[in-house]
Amino acid sequence: MRPDLPNIHEIWVYLSGSPLLALILTLAAYQVGVMIYERTQLNPLANPVLIAVTLIALSITALDMPYATYFEGAQFVHFLLGTATVSLAVPIYQALPSLRGRVLPLVAALIGGGVTSIVSAVAIARFFGADESIVGAMVVKSITAPIGMGVAERIGASPTLTAVFAVTTGILGAALARFVLDALRCREWWQRGFAIGIASHGIGTSRAFSVNPEAGTYAGLAMGLHGVLGAVAIPWAVALLR
Amino acid sequence: MIDGLVRILLFQGIGEVVAHFLVPLVPGPVIGLVLLLAFLAWRGKVPEGVELVSSAFMRYLGVLFVPAAVGVVMYWPHLQRQALAIAVALVVSVLATIAVSALVAKLLARGKSDAA
Repeated sequence: MRPDLPNIHEIWVYLSGSPLLALILTLAAYQVGVMIYERTQLNPLANPVLIAVTLIALSITALDMPYATYFEGAQFVHFLLGTATVSLAVPIYQALPSLRGRVLPLVAALIGGGVTSIVSAVAIARFFGADESIVGAMVVKSITAPIGMGVAERIGASPTLTAVFAVTTGILGAALARFVLDALRCREWWQRGFAIGIASHGIGTSRAFSVNPEAGTYAGLAMGLHGVLGAVAIPWAVALLR
Repeated sequence: MIDGLVRILLFQGIGEVVAHFLVPLVPGPVIGLVLLLAFLAWRGKVPEGVELVSSAFMRYLGVLFVPAAVGVVMYWPHLQRQALAIAVALVVSVLATIAVSALVAKLLARGKSDAA
C-alpha cells in the first residue's frame, strides 16, 4: 500500500493559501514579458509590464483567485515601489552636474508637461462622459504610481484606479514616445528621456534605460521631479478648485 | 549591496515618519527621496552600495508596478462601460504630454545655444 499521498486538490489549496504562488506568478509573468521584449528587439509594443499584467489577470481569473488573495502575496513586490521611489534620488543626484544650462528648459518642460497631462486627460474624460471616480484618478495618472497612489488618497480618488491608469499611461508612453519624438525631430537623448519621464514615469524610465543610459537618467530625473512637484501641487490645486 | 539597501530603507523610514507626523500632504517616499538627495549632496558622492541598489531598481522598475496594475481585474466591468472615454483620454493625454514636454525643452534649449 502506498502512503496516503495528498491529492492535487489538497496541494492546490495549500499552495493558493501561501503568498508564494502570487509571488512566483508575478515574477514569472514578468520574466516571460522580458523574454518577449528581448526577442522582439526591444519593440516598444511588446512591453514587459503589459505582457505580465495580461498573463496574471488571465491566470487569476481562470483560477478563480480573488484579487485580494493575489495581492496578499504580490504585496512584497508592491512594497518595494516606495523604496524604489527613494532610490530615485541617485539618478537625480547623478544628473545634477550635467544640468548646467539645461535648468530652464527642464523646469519649463516639467511644468508644461505636468499641466498638459492633467488638463488634457480630465477634459477628454469629462467630454466623453466618464464618471467622477474615473476623472479623479485621471488627475494623478502621470505621476509615478507610489507617489500617485498616495496623492490619490489625499484628494479622495481611488488608489487602485490611479495605479491602473498610471500603469496604462506608462505602457502607452513607453510604446508611443518614439513616434512622437521622431515626428517632432527631437534628437537629444536628454530631451527625449526627460519627456518620456514626465509623461510615463517608471515604465517609460525602464524603457528609456533599455534604449540609452543618458535618456534613462533624465527620465528618472523627470519622473522624480514630477512626482515631488505633483505630490505638493496637486492636493493644493484640488483644494483651491473645490 | 546590503549596506546600500539599509541606507535607502532608513531614508524611506525617516520619510514615512516625517510624512506621518509633520507633512501629511506629501507621501513618505517623496520625503525620503528629498532627504536622500540632500544626504548625497552633503557626502559629495554616491556610496557604492546605494548606487548598486538604485541601478537595480531603475532597471527593474517595471515589475514593481505589476501587482497594483493587476487591480484592473477588479474594476473591469466599471472600466468596460467607459472604455471609450478612458482610452481616448489616456492615449491623447500621454501623446500631448510627451509632445509638449519635448517641444518646450527643445525650443528653450535651442534659444539658449543660439544666444551663446
